Amino acid sequence: MTKKKSEWFFGLSGKATFLISLVLVLVFCLLDQFVPGKTPVIPNFVKYIAVNGLIYAVASLGINFYSGYLGETSLGHAAFYGLGAYFTGYLTTAMGVNFWLTIPLGMLAAAAASVPVALAGRRVKGSFMVVITYAFCEILRYIVINTDELGGTAGIPGIQAPTILGVKITKIPFLPSNKDGYILILYAIVVFLSYFTWRFVHSREGYAVQAIRQDEIAAQAMGIDVRGYRLKYILISAVICSVAGSFYAVFANLADPTMLSATLSISIFTMLVVGGRRSIPGAILGGFIVVILPELLRGVQGILGLPFDPWYILYGLMLILIMRFRPEGIMGEKE
Amino acid sequence: MAVVIQQIINGLATGGIYALIAIGWTTVFGIVGIINWTHGEVYMLGAYTGFFLTTFAHMSLLPALLISMAVGAVAAMLLDQFGYVPLRKKGTLAKSGFITALGLSTLVRYSANAAFSADPRVYPQLMDYKLVTLFRIGDTDITMSSIHLSILVGSLIIMAVLQLFFTKTLVGKAMMAGSQDMQTLGLMGADSEMLIKVTFAISGALGAAAGFFMGTLYTIFPTMGALAGLKGWACAILGGIGSITGSLVGGLLIGIAENITSGLISTGYKDAISFAIMILVLLIKPTGLMGYTFEEKV
Repeated sequence: MTKKKSEWFFGLSGKATFLISLVLVLVFCLLDQFVPGKTPVIPNFVKYIAVNGLIYAVASLGINFYSGYLGETSLGHAAFYGLGAYFTGYLTTAMGVNFWLTIPLGMLAAAAASVPVALAGRRVKGSFMVVITYAFCEILRYIVINTDELGGTAGIPGIQAPTILGVKITKIPFLPSNKDGYILILYAIVVFLSYFTWRFVHSREGYAVQAIRQDEIAAQAMGIDVRGYRLKYILISAVICSVAGSFYAVFANLADPTMLSATLSISIFTMLVVGGRRSIPGAILGGFIVVILPELLRGVQGILGLPFDPWYILYGLMLILIMRFRPEGIMGEKE
Repeated sequence: MAVVIQQIINGLATGGIYALIAIGWTTVFGIVGIINWTHGEVYMLGAYTGFFLTTFAHMSLLPALLISMAVGAVAAMLLDQFGYVPLRKKGTLAKSGFITALGLSTLVRYSANAAFSADPRVYPQLMDYKLVTLFRIGDTDITMSSIHLSILVGSLIIMAVLQLFFTKTLVGKAMMAGSQDMQTLGLMGADSEMLIKVTFAISGALGAAAGFFMGTLYTIFPTMGALAGLKGWACAILGGIGSITGSLVGGLLIGIAENITSGLISTGYKDAISFAIMILVLLIKPTGLMGYTFEEKV
């Protein structure tokens, strides 16, 4: 096999990417601790965007297993994201369960919820799976809206920030702002997931799934367990999306039905498409793009005094143009 | 018993509207082979055209409906021209078509949101409100309002015309053939690009008519296409993709199911029932009630 060009950022090796990003993240988080002065060098809203970007990057890395490596279209991954958010929200507020314990519980719930989707995938294919995932997510949303214990359309407010060894994650000493704790933890998760994904796709299983994506019938004829791999990949992607949802719930102090909405599902799917399917840095980049661009455009909207939010209009246009001129996404590879 | 029958009758008008949306989906899916996610947006544009024509131009029901359908047809053809034609030329429609459709739909929906404002609008009253007694069960009159009745009759007429078009005209027959095998049809000398354009025009006209009818019943808003579009797709799946009669049956059944759900279970689950039905149909009988099988070839 010929040596491929680096799969990470700017042609760097995996290790170099990790070290550089680690330094950047540490500087980003700790800079204000060493710079005197009352106003922070890195404004709080930039850190807010960073946290959101990292959460979306996690979700994007999650859906990459299903929509990237398996090559399926999903408009329902908000279901798993929302499950994570609601599990964390409900268990911490109503039952006083520790946040760190709600993550694995949310993961279990997402895994359980992904099984029927996987089973449906055995009966129907392609276009029909798109609507199944979409309908699945919508049904979950209606159940949540109509369940009073989950707060109905208002959702569950007042989710407390988690603690580590008795210290609130928003008030860790030596960290200048209340968001640095989130940034460091989420960064660690993104690094772990990137490594996990990379190891996974460069294993025997990864090659098997590549074969399934390219030609399912041929792969089956070769003796590859198509059904088993499909189930496994859907499970993994659901579980990762649920982790992203759990973190979003504590960060926003809220779990509400918009986290199960079709709009969010479409965002999760399309950010991967924009960043590049089957590309780890692409998935991360896609997550940041759908967080940074709307914030920038909100600024533009303020400056121009537009009465509407231009983000979705441009987002639609961006999707059309990317599909026409670079269908593999910004960092994806042609197949 | 009379209550249930009344619920069934109440569901017929919305069912007719869903059937119109469903036929729009299924014709495009049959010919072009993609889920035309923009269909809900054409439906929304039809509803808004009707609103502007009846509110500001003070048109009466029938001319406003016909103009809305024409606008819908043009809108769908423009969406095809702008979104899918370049991909068809490159030959990447099958791979990139759906995401392009998602983008187009987002673009149109939020442009409409910017242009028409997000406030819900209400159509002016287009006909006198009158309860028509259809028949009696015991001591209870089973009734239907004049507007619901007109919508049901209107949808049925549109579908009957369409059925005639598909079975009697050459273009219609070519479209039916194309939905089975587009490639062979091209080899037979049919102009497939032209056929696709006609398909989009028909689908757009039907979607706009559905939007117009919905506007006469409920408030309209720029994001109305998302839910209604999907419900139409659910009806198409229930009836069987590629079948007009199937879409009609599917639409009516889902309209009725929605009304029964909101009447007997909870209004909160009214919109969820169509999705539940769709999932069940896909899992139990993916071809729907009247559809044909798609075979996967090596």
